Order: sequence, then C-alpha cells, then structure tokens
Amino acid sequence: MTEPMDTQHIRNFSIVAHIDHGKSTLADRMLELTGTITAREAKDQILDTMDIERERGITIKASGVTMNYEYAGATYMLNLIDTPGHVDFGYEVSRALAACEGALLVVDASQGIQAQTLANAYLATGSGAEILAVINKVDLQAAQPELVAEEIEHVLGIRKNECFRISAKTGVGVKELLDAVCELLPPPKDRSDEPTRALIFDSHYDDYRGVICYLRVFSGALKVRQKIRLMGEGTTHQVTELGKFKPDMRPVDQLGTGEVGYVIANIRNLGDVRIGDTITDDARPAPDALQGYKPPMQMVFSDFYPGNNTEYPRLRAAFERLALNDASFSFVPQNSQALGFGFRCGFLGLLHMEIIQERLERENDIDVVQTAPTVSYEILLRDGTVKRIDSPSELPDRTMIEELREPFVRLEIITTTDTIGGVMMLAEGRRCKLVKTDYLSPTRVMLEYRAPLAEIVYDFYDQIKGISHGYATMNYEFTGFEAGDLVKIDILVNHTPVEALSLIVHRSNAEARGRKLIIKLRRAIPRQQFEIPLQVAIGGKIIARETIKAYRKDVTAKLYGGDVTRKMKVLKRQKEGKKRMKSVGSVQIPQEAFMSILDTSD
Amino acid sequence: MADCGPDDDRAYSPSRPCGERSNAAVSRTHDTSVEAAGLYVHIPFCRSKCRYCGFYSVPTAGRDTGPLVCALLRELERYEGVDFRTAYIGGGSPSALPVDQLVGLARRIRERCPRVREYTVECNPGQADAGLLAGLRQAGVNRLSFGAQSFRAEELRLLGRGHSVEDIDRSVNLAKQAGFDNLSLDLIFAIPGSTRGDWQYSVESAIDLNVPHLSAYSLSFETGTVFDAWRKAGRLCPVDEELDRAMYEWAVERLECAGLDQYEISNFARPGFECLHNLGYWANRPFVGIGPGAASYWRGRRTMNDADIERYVRAVESGMEAPREVQPVNAEDAVCETAVLNLRMRSGIDLAAFRQQTGHDALRTFAEPIRRYRDLGLIEVTDRCVRLTRPALPIADTILCDFAALE
Repeated sequence: MTEPMDTQHIRNFSIVAHIDHGKSTLADRMLELTGTITAREAKDQILDTMDIERERGITIKASGVTMNYEYAGATYMLNLIDTPGHVDFGYEVSRALAACEGALLVVDASQGIQAQTLANAYLATGSGAEILAVINKVDLQAAQPELVAEEIEHVLGIRKNECFRISAKTGVGVKELLDAVCELLPPPKDRSDEPTRALIFDSHYDDYRGVICYLRVFSGALKVRQKIRLMGEGTTHQVTELGKFKPDMRPVDQLGTGEVGYVIANIRNLGDVRIGDTITDDARPAPDALQGYKPPMQMVFSDFYPGNNTEYPRLRAAFERLALNDASFSFVPQNSQALGFGFRCGFLGLLHMEIIQERLERENDIDVVQTAPTVSYEILLRDGTVKRIDSPSELPDRTMIEELREPFVRLEIITTTDTIGGVMMLAEGRRCKLVKTDYLSPTRVMLEYRAPLAEIVYDFYDQIKGISHGYATMNYEFTGFEAGDLVKIDILVNHTPVEALSLIVHRSNAEARGRKLIIKLRRAIPRQQFEIPLQVAIGGKIIARETIKAYRKDVTAKLYGGDVTRKMKVLKRQKEGKKRMKSVGSVQIPQEAFMSILDTSD
Repeated sequence: MADCGPDDDRAYSPSRPCGERSNAAVSRTHDTSVEAAGLYVHIPFCRSKCRYCGFYSVPTAGRDTGPLVCALLRELERYEGVDFRTAYIGGGSPSALPVDQLVGLARRIRERCPRVREYTVECNPGQADAGLLAGLRQAGVNRLSFGAQSFRAEELRLLGRGHSVEDIDRSVNLAKQAGFDNLSLDLIFAIPGSTRGDWQYSVESAIDLNVPHLSAYSLSFETGTVFDAWRKAGRLCPVDEELDRAMYEWAVERLECAGLDQYEISNFARPGFECLHNLGYWANRPFVGIGPGAASYWRGRRTMNDADIERYVRAVESGMEAPREVQPVNAEDAVCETAVLNLRMRSGIDLAAFRQQTGHDALRTFAEPIRRYRDLGLIEVTDRCVRLTRPALPIADTILCDFAALE
C-alpha cells in the first residue's frame, strides 16, 4: 500500500478565467510539462470531455487532474481542478474553489479584465484561496501585458510586478508558474489524524460503473472497501474503487488528507449524491460536515415540445439522460393546447439552456419547439403566503395576488469608454438601475447595475456585444425578489389565447412587448383560408391587434389526366408542411412561429 | 397484347350522347363486361412554341410528321377490345399537322372507336380553315376546342400564340358553318401586364361568340418555359394574387350570368355541354393516352410515355410498347386521387359512386378535413355529396392537400 503523501508537498489549485483567455491551453501545457501526458497525447484541451465544450471553447463541468512535479529537490503532487468559465456556471467555480488552497486567475494580455474575471476573483477571494494573477498570451501582437498588469493592480489589488506573464500556447513562463504554484500557494492543512471528511465537488454518471464522485479529502483518509457515509443524505456505501485522474482514471488504494480524486461506491443514481456533501467514515464519523454549497438556483425556464407528438416518449427519455449528468437541469411534464404534450425545463441561465438544447438535438436528433425563456416569479398572496411560479400559466387569478415579485440581479458590465453611452442606453431601456461606475483604466469602465433578470435573459448579452463591437462582457448574480408593476399579457390567435405565448412583463413594456410578439407572429403564421386576428390582452382588455389576411389564391388552374401524379406529390408535400404545424382552434401555426417569438431581436 | 384484358369493373360510360342536356354532369353507370375508357391522343407538334406552354411539342417546320401519325395508330392497336367512350386529340397543336394527316388520323380513330360519344380535337384559331373543319366533321369529330387564350392583340403577342383576334372569330364561325355545335374556347387570365379591363374584354368577347363551353385558366409559370425564364430574370412580373383572384371571381359570376355554369375549377359550360372526356379525368376513371409525352391511367397504373418522338416511333413501329415511366397506384393513392380529382368539380365527391369506386366511405375516410373545412364554410356536405363551396375554389389547393394522403 502506498503511503499517503505528505501534505506539505500537495498543492490544490484551480485556474479561473474568462472564456477564451486560455485556461484549457494552460492546463494542457501543465499536463505536458509535468509529464502527465506526452506532447503526442496532448490533444488540445484534454480536460474538456464533451464535444460541445470543445467546440464552444468552454468548460461546463469541473474536473480534477493530478500531476507530479519536481521542484527544489522534492516531488510535489499538483491537483488541478478545472472550472467552467461562463456566467451561468459561477456556482461550479465556487465548488471547485472550495476544494483548493489556491487559484490562478488568468487574464488575456490583449483583452484585459472581463466581467467574469472579476466575478471569479471575488469568488476566489471569498473562498479564502490564494490568488496568483497570470497574464496569458503575451506572445500575441496585440498583447499589452503592462496595461493589463495595471488593471489587475487597480481592480484586484495584486501588485503589477507580481503578475506572471506567460504564453500557454508557446509554453513561455509556464515552468516558472508551476514553480510558483509550489513556492507560493499554501499546502493543505495536515489533518490526517482527524476523522475522515471529504468534500464531493462534482459527480458524473457512467453507464457501467454508476456514479463517480469527484472529491477532495480534507481530513483523515479514504480507503478501498471502507464503509463510508454521506453526511447530508445519511446514506452509507461501500467504497469499491478510489482513484485519481492522470488525466485518465487510475485506481489507488487510498486517498489521504489534501488529496483530490474520485470514489466509486455502488451508487446507482446521480440524485443519490448531493454535490457539496461530505463523505465520512461510517465507523468513525466526523462530528460535523464540511461547509457545503448553496444549491444553484434555476432562474430561466422554457417549454420544450416535440415537433411531432409521437416523439414525446423519445423526448422524455432524452431529458432523463441529460438530467442524469446535470443536476442543475430539471424538467416536468407540461401540456399546452397550442403545442400538445411537452416539458417545462429549468436552467441556471441562458447558456445552460442553449447547451441543453444543443445536446438534445445533437445526441438525440429530435425536433423540438421551444417557447420563449422566462424567469421565476414570487407571488405574495392575499392570504399572506408566498409562492414561486416558473411559468406565466401558474399565475393565480389577479384578485388573489397581493404582490408580484420578480428576480433581481447585480449586473456587472465591463466595456470600453467609447461605447459606454450605448451600453447605458440599452441597460436603462431594460429597467436596469445604475449603482456604480468604475474606470478600470482610461479606456475601460465597469458598470454595476441592479437589474431585473427577466430583462437580461433574452438577447441582452448579444446586444451589448453588438453595441460594444464585441468588447463588453457581463456577469450577473441573483440578489433577491423584488415587487414590481408586473402584468401577464396573453396572446390571442383568432380569439383563442395561446398559453404558450403568455408572458409576464412590466406594465410599462406590456404594449411594446405584446405588439412586437404579434408582429412577429403575423410574419410567421402563413396565410390561412380565413382572416386571423392576432391580439394582445391584459386581463380581458385588448391592448394591441394585428391581422393576418386570408389566402387569396392557391389553386391549380389546370389538372387533367397527365398532371395527376405530379400534382398529388405537390399536394402531399403541402400536407406534410401543415403537419409540422400545431393547431390553435382552426389556425395552423408552424413551429417557426413559436421559434420566432424566441428571437427578441428584429 | 399485355395491356388488353377483358375486365375492369371501374368501367366508365357517359350517360348521354354529346350535347344532350342533362343535369348530371357525368353518370357513373357501371358496365362490368368491357373495359371502358377515355382515349387521349397527343400530337407533339406546333407551328411555334408558345412562351407559357409547358406541354411537350416540337416545331413542325421541315419535319415529316407522317411516321408519328402512323405510330400513333400502331400504339392504339395495343388497346384492341377497349371500349373507348370519349376521344380527345390534343397537343401541341393537332391543327399543325397537314390537313390530310389530321383528318386521316381522326377518321381511323373513329373507325377503331365506334362507341365514342364525344370526340374532341384541339385547334389553333390561326390554323382552322374550312377544309380542315369539314374534314374533321366528316371523320366523326363532334367537338372542337379552340386555344383562343385572349382577345387582346398585345396579350396574344406576349403569349407567342401565332394567331390573331380575328382568327378566333373567323375559326368559330367556320366551325359553326361546318356543323359543329359543341365548341369550346380556352382563355388565359392573369397575364403579366393584364388589367381587369383586358380580362373583362376577353370574357365578353368569348361570350359574344356564343359557344357552349369555356375554360378559363390563371396563367401559371411552368418550369422550362420562356415565361418562367423571363420571370426569373425579372422581365415578367406575375399579376398579384389579389387581382388574379378578382379576375377569377368576376369571370365565374359573369359566365354564370351568360348561362355558362362552372362545373370545375377552370371550366364552364351550358348544361349538357360539359366536356365528358375531362369529366372522366376528374372522376378518376381509366384513360389511355397515346403518343410521345402522353399519360395513361390504365389498370391501376399511371404511365407517362417518354417525350421523344424518334424513340417513340422506333419502339412502336417495331411492335414494342412505347418507352415510358410506370407508376403503380396503390389502394390508398387511388382513394386520395379520386377524392382530390372529384373535389375539383362543383358536383364534388358523389358519395355513392365514391364508395363503389374505392370501397371507402368518403365521410369517414376524410372525416377530419371534412369537419374542419365544413366548420370554416369551405366544404359542404349533403346526403349525396361532399363538395367545395364557392369561396373555397380560389384556394382549393390549401384544402385539397388534406385529401392528398391518409393520416
């Protein structure tokens, strides 16, 4: 049996960075330099295991990899816990950081600090991790490492001469950085004599082996065949395998204090393991659990319907598979008269939603109709009870509502000073209240807003990207529910309300939003055999109307014997086209009409 | 001959001699003893190609049309024993053939098909002369269909018709003098640049000629035609659908006032002068088409002869079948085709005949679309028939497509 590593020579750290600032490339270079993988094996960005992650250049799930590194005559065990880089996955970053003593904060030398960098830095400081600031991509022509170092000093208070200047791509400075990890980051505290406590910071489901938990041992040790207890759940399991990621799974006999690895213990359902739970020894349990995580809150909701009703069971199976590996995704059956049977799905944010949507299409080849994303609302009822609703259809009768509250976020936008006007105008148009303006440098500014989440879940990010020519970045954090003058608008197609299109909006936006919707619908719904009124209503009151004119002409003038085969084919195609539509009363609405509602840009 | 057998229970026989007045457009008397059918003969020649026409035809200039005419008769021999009740020589322009060839062909067909009640020849008004018309009459032809298309000279020029407005008047009068009482004119509306007034002028002119049958077609841009190319190049702008529809609705109303009842989406006739041959198509009865480019619906298969005169002549003259494409029609296709074709007629689906022909109860088989469109006032149901209502006609395809396939 191998002896547990002396904690003095263990370093647990994360790399936190904005998307595309080179986090994964840096990780690859470290794996190479430490001989964990050979350059030949080094497929780019080895830590990103899902296709989508690799394609989109982002990391969705945290994962940990163990490297051995010789420094100052000793062998160090470096555990790198990778983190996602997007706003929606901030909670995953905090999870990873909770398992670390240090963090490398990577900033692109050509782009400087981004909103997400800042959010990550706050998370890292908050978790008590030691931060090393790393300026990456110094080999780029557009690199301005000195300017970026000044920004870092100004915003984060890390002295500019303490910033590491590297190029993960060429390898420049990476060895020095690894030395610094050993030299400057603190080792885990030696608590090998205390009762076992290990933090589960992630998990995933493997078809053959069941649930694989990623963990960090804080005290004591874990051994194969040990009977363990999940302190939060209160369940016990027998350890069948322990191991480390190097970067592939390598079994070990035990994981000692300070180490990072995985445990397999015959757990069949991902739902049986709560991320943030503490593993302890069943025979000699720790008196109290490690501080866990706040479970992430689902903030964005959308309905998914199969394009073809017969695909409903397949869609359900697909969602079940997706949920297996993503505890932050949820789905419940939903029935809409417009779209038939489908599911209401909850997501952490918009990117999370997009990723699920893409995986659904890519891995399952199912056509889906998806409704506009909405947020969660809180209702204070007249009887004093408070209720959360995830869909406008759950809204009780107006007479029962004392107060309707919507989620607010602290929104940080970093942009260039010459685009600040446009960004501010957009934000004000979306009911965002400016809290603070902070100039990071003469050319870059950070704006902090108090913003209603509903206003930014749609296309807000795309729009500020557009206004700022791609420079601006944003990050948001949920702060709480606040009361507002909110109303539910209904969309009536040929006098029939289409539940799937109902929206809760601020009264000041009701008419504009409603009209925009029906104008889009007017363009998306093909003419039918009769005239169709499209209306926007609040309560029973119509506040806007558009009309789809009836078909004028659709008839084959000549049809004799010779044309029958061809004409039947054309008619069958026309019928097929109709089949892809959903009926609202006697109106046929194509999926595209619903999809077009999603697109709030014009 | 492979294609000749004695039995087909879907026999078709028109109820009355041509020209006899009757309220029923076509009766579906069933005669199980012989195979009855319509006969279509395609003459793939024209003096010149019209710019909108998508049918198969080649110019006659400098060409010996004799071998084709012989081959047509040879192909017809393959259908010995078939009881043809209607015959229709179309094209192309049958009248583009030398007079003796066309008259000879007409006579030989008549000899072969003694029970034909309605015998139509298409005629370009510019190619009708007294000799031809008298010859056709003598050969047993009893109906002429003139491709008048328009009474506006500039429209005729745009269409590339190669005949004048005067030719129309002249040929109709000659036909009457030759003893034809069953005459039809084809008209085209929604010609690019055409106004409501132009169309009204053409319709009024046609009514003035006092013919018992009219076809009014909205111009369509067929693939491969000059018009299609011009439209794609932006040289022609299709008439907008509002105007197209207005022209159509006006014509329907005007023609009814003139005693020409609409009996199919594009066809109008004095009662008793409905085209029996075409009613056979819409009743989805069998028909035999001979000639290159001709279609047949025969013994449960739809076939289309290849549009190639030389190959056709070679094959037929060496005793083989005309080269063609064959498409079997399964039971479901037959049900749907019958419904779609029937619904083009104002009389719609005759429920009893439909059941007899297809074995299906139309009200049950198509219950869903019938209910939906009935609710919208686009279909009406009586105890005997299902039919499109008048407002449904200009948008018929949006309705018929729901009858084009079973769920």
